[in-house]
Amino acid sequence: MIRLQRSMIAGLEDPSPSLQSVLDALQQAIKLEHATIPLYLYALYSLDPTKNAEIVAIIESVVVEEMLHMTLSSNVLNALGGSPEINKPGFIPTYPGALPGGVESQLTVHLAPFSMSGPVDQLQTFLTIEAPEDPLVFSAVEDDTITIGEFYDAVSASIEALGEGAFLNPSPNQVGPDLMWQSVVVTDVATAQQAIQTIVDQGEGTSTSPLEVVGAGYAHYYRFMQIQKGHLLVPVEGGGPDPEDQYAYTGDPVPFDPTGVYGVPVDPGGYAAGSAAAFANDNFNYTYTSLLNALHDLFNGNSSQDQMNVAIGLMMSLKGQAKAMMSGIPNPAVLVGPSFQYQPVNPAA
Amino acid sequence: MSYLNPLRLHFSGQFQTNVSTVNNDAAHYDNAAFQASYQDMEGDRMRPPNGWFNPQGDAAYRLLGCTIGSAFVGGAAVPSSDPVLGCIVADSDGSVPGKLVDLDPEQQLVSEIWGLQVRVADSGGNTLMQGDFEPAAFIDIWDRATGSGGGDTNAGAMYQSVLTNLTWGDVSASNFLTRLQQAAAATGMLSIKFNMDGINMDFTAPDFMCGRITGTIGPAAPDEPEHLVIGRQFMASPTTDPNIQVNFFVPAGGLNFCVAWVDADNAMLYVDLGNALSTDIPGGTLNDLGDLTVSIYDPIATPVDPAGTMITIGTIPATGTNGYSDPSWYPTTAGIATLPLTSDQLTMLKFRILAISGNAGILIAEAPSGAFLRADGFVYRMSPTQTQSINVYAMQYGQPLAGTSVAFTLDPSQLQTQQSPDQWPFVGAAPDVAIPTTAITFNGSAPTDSNGIAVLEVAAGDPGKVRWFNSGVDYGIDGQIYGIRAAFADSSLQDGPVNQWNFISFLLWSGFTPANPVTWTDVQPIFQQYANLYPVMLRFLNMASYDDVKAHSGLLSLAFGLPVSDPNSMPVTRDLSPAKRAAILAWLQDPLPGEAPAPAPRALAAAGAPQAPPGASPPRGGKAAAAARRLVLQAR
Repeated sequence: MIRLQRSMIAGLEDPSPSLQSVLDALQQAIKLEHATIPLYLYALYSLDPTKNAEIVAIIESVVVEEMLHMTLSSNVLNALGGSPEINKPGFIPTYPGALPGGVESQLTVHLAPFSMSGPVDQLQTFLTIEAPEDPLVFSAVEDDTITIGEFYDAVSASIEALGEGAFLNPSPNQVGPDLMWQSVVVTDVATAQQAIQTIVDQGEGTSTSPLEVVGAGYAHYYRFMQIQKGHLLVPVEGGGPDPEDQYAYTGDPVPFDPTGVYGVPVDPGGYAAGSAAAFANDNFNYTYTSLLNALHDLFNGNSSQDQMNVAIGLMMSLKGQAKAMMSGIPNPAVLVGPSFQYQPVNPAA
Repeated sequence: MSYLNPLRLHFSGQFQTNVSTVNNDAAHYDNAAFQASYQDMEGDRMRPPNGWFNPQGDAAYRLLGCTIGSAFVGGAAVPSSDPVLGCIVADSDGSVPGKLVDLDPEQQLVSEIWGLQVRVADSGGNTLMQGDFEPAAFIDIWDRATGSGGGDTNAGAMYQSVLTNLTWGDVSASNFLTRLQQAAAATGMLSIKFNMDGINMDFTAPDFMCGRITGTIGPAAPDEPEHLVIGRQFMASPTTDPNIQVNFFVPAGGLNFCVAWVDADNAMLYVDLGNALSTDIPGGTLNDLGDLTVSIYDPIATPVDPAGTMITIGTIPATGTNGYSDPSWYPTTAGIATLPLTSDQLTMLKFRILAISGNAGILIAEAPSGAFLRADGFVYRMSPTQTQSINVYAMQYGQPLAGTSVAFTLDPSQLQTQQSPDQWPFVGAAPDVAIPTTAITFNGSAPTDSNGIAVLEVAAGDPGKVRWFNSGVDYGIDGQIYGIRAAFADSSLQDGPVNQWNFISFLLWSGFTPANPVTWTDVQPIFQQYANLYPVMLRFLNMASYDDVKAHSGLLSLAFGLPVSDPNSMPVTRDLSPAKRAAILAWLQDPLPGEAPAPAPRALAAAGAPQAPPGASPPRGGKAAAAARRLVLQAR
């Protein structure tokens, strides 16, 4: 579980929160949901899929839902008359660093190849990010921090406080389930809270089950735990009444083959100008920035299938580039980690 | 008009063209004989047979670090205060890069750029103008670098096209861009031309698959061709020097094919030498060929000048501040020089030809008749029963030539197939090209209209499975390629050197009728071939695997369903017939397994694959290897 700065919900706890404070919090939510994506992608593409297919599948399934969470947050923001800001340099977190709104002393995240041990234990980082709230731990922490669950609870409550009158009619710029699986068109308090609850449930699971409320999979924490435990989580036949008794990590193996991790750096970037690494990284970052531009357009009025296709094409391009550069294509002697930085201009090689 | 215009900007920088090279060898299309090693990076002298120099290429075509070196309004350079001079020319910042695409493994010398967006942006990348590059093929490829080595890295070529679907940012701060926006209003288009050379094929180099680009953007006039200047076309003769190794084309007079345009309103001559001046090293500074004198040739003999008279218009200096061999000249001008014309010269130019000369032996001129003929678009893909009207532009002394007859004939001479048993570095035989001739029909001649346009009317038949392997048993290359060349019926107009590259290339797809319903049996060979030829796909899925393709049917439906103009369109090579595309899309909706259809692999390719001959020089690249397979090479 990570903790966020209490300033993330500044103004939200007011019985009559201002619209702007809710919009600000939702923009923070979009940033936060996005911020995990480079982490997961970097680990994902550092894996040789022929050696670590099970882990690849698990991380991939989580990333897809983080993209959904960005979309859901944007839908709520748009429904309240806001405008998601995706294509600005400050939208991308600095790695290594805290997650947006996070408490750095509590968790510093690095772009790093997949690992299950060592100084940068990336799986542990993922588990920390996605861990469900533990009420016992919660009561013991200092009060200038909040959990992600508390953050979304506060957002949800403040939307209820704003009331139906705060929603635009018709609701603008919605990216619905026709464009993205499991998305929610937000038009009122109920659908806004449904969107937010989807984010929370998929990320952390409910207190009664590791199952997602929306979707067929487990909440992210439990998916990652399958890697930690080395086995898929499966329902227990005739298990007891408590959630802990209904599931067990006793399914098919989820093996980790450390030789199936490409030797890319922790905290990539800073490649020498004019180097092959800089060239590959520049192309990647330019494409990444192009994707942020495309998503910005998608969430700000161009919510068409065509624009979604443009964004999907960019995601596929990023995937192709990342897998090549991290696995030593074209030059096996040069493994390059993409630094996920804002880059609106592509320089000469 | 066109980019050769008093209103224009010049840019320079780098391109990347990250093409896949497994498809360089037509024999790699033979699914039954394909070896895993054909996907490997080439080793020393391509031993063993392999995937050539960039098997993992993804076909991306990028513009890198392109800056605007100069801009002109009314023929005058804009002041340094015009912010356009701090701008860049870039590709899309909201979609994937464009793609560079060969027409066919047996016609690799008209590679087209698809799905490219071109932008003018401020130094921070904020878009001031963007447009879609109308797909176009390169022409006038030549052995541009004259120093040591040879092959693709020494080559230069050019592209001309238009930018469409223009959108403009706030350009009010730039007088140049404001004028350009106004000039574009009439057509909604801009004209763009660029030169590429100096590609680096060393996969260990930081700029692998990158090279130099210099280009020009100007207005596009109504009713003018999109890929051709109605202007003064300079015609190069091939060298006859037996000591010169020719990969593509070496001009006898040292200057490659080029064009000039007479601006009668402003009494100026624009000469585009961007793809006409040689370099020493690939992508390097231009060779000093001496001051280039541009003259009008008056053939009327006088006692003093029995061979006629050269009337000098002016000189393009080789050295000095504005000398073309100065390193700053080419990036700043993209090779375009301007010279003022007198009224007498303007009059003479209506019925006299132009010539450019430099040091001894450096010479190029228009055809003696001043006449020139070329199709605007010269690369076509057609399905059986499809028809295509193609505009062929006739001009003389830079003006449309009306009322003359243009003849059209089949000409396979520049298509690339196997010619001798010595195939190295190719692993096997390439199928015959341009047969059956009955599959392509067209009018034998056409008159030019008042705009100098003759229309070639082509009807495609079904070439059948003529390029399948193993005597037509094993799945192979779809369809067939053909060439058609236009010539003046009036021989007095057909009196200059013939540009071997000036012909129209066709890929005629085979008819294809899958079973109903479509099963994996029908589409497996198609997917297998893409899996073989494009190892990049393995980053996403194994296209040869039924289970994998089925699991990705959603994304594949999207990609195969996009218009071919879309940069995300699959296949990236644009070589899938509409009939096969329809079958694939139908199958992806309902991926029926069918029977296991893969034919037994043939072993002969592995056993019979050619090896590098002793002392063989390193391979010279894909284009040079293809060029060496042309049915008719440059005459010596």
